[in-house]
This record gives sequence, structure tokens and C-alpha cells, in this order.
Amino acid sequence: MNLEAFQNRVLPAKNKLFRFALRFLGNEEEAKDIVQEVFIRVWNGREQMADVQNWEAWCMRITRNLSLDRIRSLTRKQTQPIEESFNVQHEALTPHESTEAHESMQKITQFIAALPEKQRQIIHLRDVEGYSYNEICDILELDMNQVKVNLFRARNAVREKLTKINAYGL
Amino acid sequence: MDSNKIDELLNKYWNCETSLEEEQQLREYFRGEQIPEQWKETATLFRYFDTHKKKTLNDGAFDTALMKKINTPPPSKGKVVRIFYNTLRIAAGVSVLVVATFLVRNEIRESTPQEMVDTYDDPKLALEETKKALMMISKSFGTAEEKAKKINMFNEAQQQIQKNEEKRAL
Repeated sequence: MNLEAFQNRVLPAKNKLFRFALRFLGNEEEAKDIVQEVFIRVWNGREQMADVQNWEAWCMRITRNLSLDRIRSLTRKQTQPIEESFNVQHEALTPHESTEAHESMQKITQFIAALPEKQRQIIHLRDVEGYSYNEICDILELDMNQVKVNLFRARNAVREKLTKINAYGL
Repeated sequence: MDSNKIDELLNKYWNCETSLEEEQQLREYFRGEQIPEQWKETATLFRYFDTHKKKTLNDGAFDTALMKKINTPPPSKGKVVRIFYNTLRIAAGVSVLVVATFLVRNEIRESTPQEMVDTYDDPKLALEETKKALMMISKSFGTAEEKAKKINMFNEAQQQIQKNEEKRAL
């Protein structure tokens, strides 16, 4: 693989990798660092990886492994949700409604942050990034059954909490 | 899209039975303005996924820094150290050989009987030494013979006396 192919085929995945790393680390600088390391590894190992079918999934897997290593080395148990960067502004909404929307967005951020690590990764890969089940299996090195079960649990945990908001306004 | 269809899709979604296309349809629907009250929270969830996907790493600085790192070959870490290590490895190998040879030689030497070890390399010298040794032995034999003659004399005298005594008795 030459530099041009690298720039055209591998580099465009950077945002997905960044978001995935961010999901683990909760810190933009750290996540950026991880993405850079992933690309450098891919570039240095490009000869051996000529037969890799799905570059993106492969990069995502490296991102996951490096992020987990980083978390371990930082001895950080829980990643922090990034809340400040999400502004839900809707021009059509009244200030009251706008505040309400912002609040529920924050709640959802909390719900997702409260999910177990594996479920959080899977719901991110499926619902944010739109990966197929097969790709998720590839990235997380899990079998199809585990992926589906975890996604089911994650979605239903969130749903349950959403229903509670609806019912009691909690 | 009518609300029955959405309801159906949502049910499938919670059960993890939706395809990627159907999930995309849901995302698009919940991006809209007119969301019925019952799905307000669900809509927030889908908007949460959307907002998260907007998080990007689209700064040129990242690409530039990465390309710079990729184009500069990794610094060859301490050439001196590598040479030192190689020398050390060779030296270790040689010393193992030397010690092994020494031990094996010792072992062979100990297991060979002493009398089989050659003492002289020069045949002339060996002949001289052999002669000297034989001379010494013959000299000792000479001395021994003289002493033996004396003992013999006593023996003969004793026999003579015995004979005389026997004659007298007769």
C-alpha cells in the first residue's frame, strides 16, 4: 500500500476511530492520540496486512485494543461522558422546550454512560456508527450471539429508563 | 411515514430485529419536527445518536501531524546500543564454547589411566631415560645378588654342619 492508497482508503475512517476512542477515554486529546497511534501502526505494518479484508473494522479493533491499554495504564476505571459538547438547539422550540430537550439529552448521556462497557461499545457501533452485526463481531472479537444479546440488553436498559421519564417525569 | 409503520419499526428496533436500513429510516423520521408526544424521549435518543456521529476530527492539523510522522522513518534507536548488544551476544557464545571445551578436556583427561599418558615426545630422550631406568634396576639386582650369596654361604654351612652331625650319630 502506498501513501496515496493509505490516504484514500484508511485515513477517512479517522472520525469513526476518534469517536470510538472517545467513547472509551472520554477525553478528546487522549482519543486523538490513540487514533494517531492506530494509523502509525497500520502504516508501519502495511506489508503484513495486505490480506486484511475490512480495513475499517480492523482499524476499529486496533483502536479498541489501544484504548483499553490506555485506560489500563491510566488506571481509570470509568470513562467520563462528554456532555459539554452536545448542544441540542432547535430554533423552533421555545426556551422552555429547549431546556427540556437539553435536559433529556443529558439524561440519555447518563443512561448510556451507565451501561456496562461491552454494551456501551456495541450500542455505539450499531446506533451511532451504523455497523452491521458482522462488522461488530469483527471489531469486538465476539460471536454474533453475544453481540445481539448485549445490544438487546443495552437498548432495553435505555428504553426502560426512557419509559420511566415518560411515566413519572424523572 | 405513518405512525403505525413507525410503531412497528420501533418495536422491531427494541427487539433488535431491525436492519440497518430500517434503523436509518427511524433516524431520519426522528430528525423531523412533528414528533408525537409519546415518542418525544425516543426521538431524543435518536438525536443523541445523531449528535454523537457529528463529532469529528476534521482538523487539518491532525492529518499534517500524522503525515509528518509517517514520512519520517522512526529514529533508529541507539545504533551503539545495538552493536554493543550484538558484540555481547557473540562474546557470550564464544565464552560458552571455551568453557565447554575446557570441561570436556578435563573430563577426558580424568577418565584416561595415568600410565597410558605419554611422557616423552622425543624418542632419543625416551631411550636414554629407559636405559637409565634399566641400569638402575640392574644395579639393584647386582646388590641384591651379593647379599643373596652371603645368605647362601650361611645356608651351605648349615647344611654341612647337619651332614657332619648325622655322620657322627651313625
